[in-house]
Amino acid sequence: MSSLIQLNHISKRYEIDNNLIFTALKDINITLNKGEFASLVGPSGSGKSTLMHIIGLLDKQSEGDVIIDGRNINQMTDNSLSTLRNEFVGFVFQQFNLITKLTVLENVLLPTVYARKKIAYNVQKRGFEILKRFGISDKANSYPNKISGGQQQRVAIARSLIMEPKLILADEPTGNLDTKSGEEIMKLLKQLNKEEDITVLIVTHEEDIAAQTKRKIHIVDGELKT
Amino acid sequence: MNFFAFILKSAFFDFSRNKGRTFLTSLGILIGVLSVVLLTAFGLGLRAYIEKQFENLGSNLVRVVPGQVLSGGGFSNASSAFMSIKFEEDDVRNLERIRELKMTVPVYSRTVTATSLNEKKSATLYASSEGIFIALNLENEYGKFFTASDVEKRSKVVVIGPKLADNLFLSRRKAIGESIKIEGQKYTVIGVVKSIGGGFGGPDFDTFVYMPYRTAYTINTDKTFMAIILQAKTEEDIPTIKRKVEQILLKSYEKEDFSIIEQEELLSAINSIFSIINTVLVAIAAISLLVGGIGIMNIMYVTVTERIREIGIRRALGARRSDILWQFLTQSVILSLIGGAAGLLLSAIIVLFISRYFPAYIDLQSVILALGVSSGIGIIFGVFPAKKAADLSPIEAIRYE
Repeated sequence: MSSLIQLNHISKRYEIDNNLIFTALKDINITLNKGEFASLVGPSGSGKSTLMHIIGLLDKQSEGDVIIDGRNINQMTDNSLSTLRNEFVGFVFQQFNLITKLTVLENVLLPTVYARKKIAYNVQKRGFEILKRFGISDKANSYPNKISGGQQQRVAIARSLIMEPKLILADEPTGNLDTKSGEEIMKLLKQLNKEEDITVLIVTHEEDIAAQTKRKIHIVDGELKT
Repeated sequence: MNFFAFILKSAFFDFSRNKGRTFLTSLGILIGVLSVVLLTAFGLGLRAYIEKQFENLGSNLVRVVPGQVLSGGGFSNASSAFMSIKFEEDDVRNLERIRELKMTVPVYSRTVTATSLNEKKSATLYASSEGIFIALNLENEYGKFFTASDVEKRSKVVVIGPKLADNLFLSRRKAIGESIKIEGQKYTVIGVVKSIGGGFGGPDFDTFVYMPYRTAYTINTDKTFMAIILQAKTEEDIPTIKRKVEQILLKSYEKEDFSIIEQEELLSAINSIFSIINTVLVAIAAISLLVGGIGIMNIMYVTVTERIREIGIRRALGARRSDILWQFLTQSVILSLIGGAAGLLLSAIIVLFISRYFPAYIDLQSVILALGVSSGIGIIFGVFPAKKAADLSPIEAIRYE
């Protein structure tokens, strides 16, 4: 298996105020291989979200190197990082983060609006197919606030898939859902990993969610626990 | 849906969700565009009106007036005109000898009170020769004009404007043959001229009284003239005439005592004054556009703050800084253009209504300018809020509550 993401000696520090420095991450070394189904587990405040944001190129580390598909992101411009977020990563958030004024289908298609590469497939058709596969194609023209939480999270996953990413980053994807919807979302993520060989990294504080993944990465107080 | 369709949809969604805010913000630009376009329309109308008045005058005219009237393209200090010379009948006689001249028309003018049997009205006395009717391009509606022999014989006759005839004698036709009393002297009305308009702050030509200049010596006791109007035989003679007039007058007066002005020069001088006044007025009106632009900037800052989370989501999905910049810039330009177009439409309606009473019109240049300026304002005042949106850190934006 070849490595998809390599984190070498990552640390993250915030300056609070009066020169008070808070260290969120300390010397993190992780390699995530293609096709892995992993979880990043830790209590709240452990730094797991910060780490996910760094992996997802939304935030920058204070020290260390992030190597994505063999490329060191330290040398990349803001535009290249945007393109990488667009093509390489699919985000699934706890809060779903759908845009309320766009319909379900428009939300799914939103990443294609910012695509710089030529998309070979018909995005409208593809978006609709994904919604159909997730059992929510009848909601394609509904607005996000008119559908249930479980359905909204499925729309978010559909949106994360439209650009055919190599990695899905799911931040507490079941955190805002009831048990049944949560189980369905987990089933969907497992299925995507198994059938389409997409690398999935789930960030969670729940041990039973982490238990469903093949690899658990524990993080406490900004440090990896082995 | 492509990028622009997405941008437009989100802009119009914002407008429809905040109708009141959109209306008030656009109103700022609307008022600005309205005032600028209306003032320009009035300026254009007034200029066209003046040019038309000049066209009414006879052709190939040269005016000789006291003082330095035109210098450096505009009117010079007007006080010099009060201190200056007046022309005498001898000057008129001397000028008449210039071969290239078709006629020489002296003018004496002052405000008088004209009295008929039952009415008393203020009027402008125009004491001149029979050539004045040609110089001013006047036509008679009733009766006749006075002649050269009336001037020679000092006939006690006058030709009056139609409004004055209406006011003094109830009817223009009945005015002929009636007596009119000016400064204690009685004169017979022999003609009424056709209306040529006037007013709007300028002289009302329809209340003029035209009298042979020698007859008027009882009123004009100094026997002097404020101006001498000359008509050239052909346009090509005008430079020669100007030169000869100068030679003759320099024998009696200093160079700075008089001016020789062509019709064209006078028109361009008046036009240049009008452009200055109009530019100043439009510039003042443009301040309201500036205020409108600040309103847009203010609202765009609010909009950006309201949508920080959405900006974060878009950034997470791959939007570049420039994509976010364009999104908000487009929105502010649309907002500004809505105001601009509405302002233009409203000014068109007002001008359409007002043009019945006042010469005003909107030209293509104003339309292009109004729309150009309002989109320019959208860009200038939208760029700072849009820049703020684009520069947000994706992670801070997406976490924003």
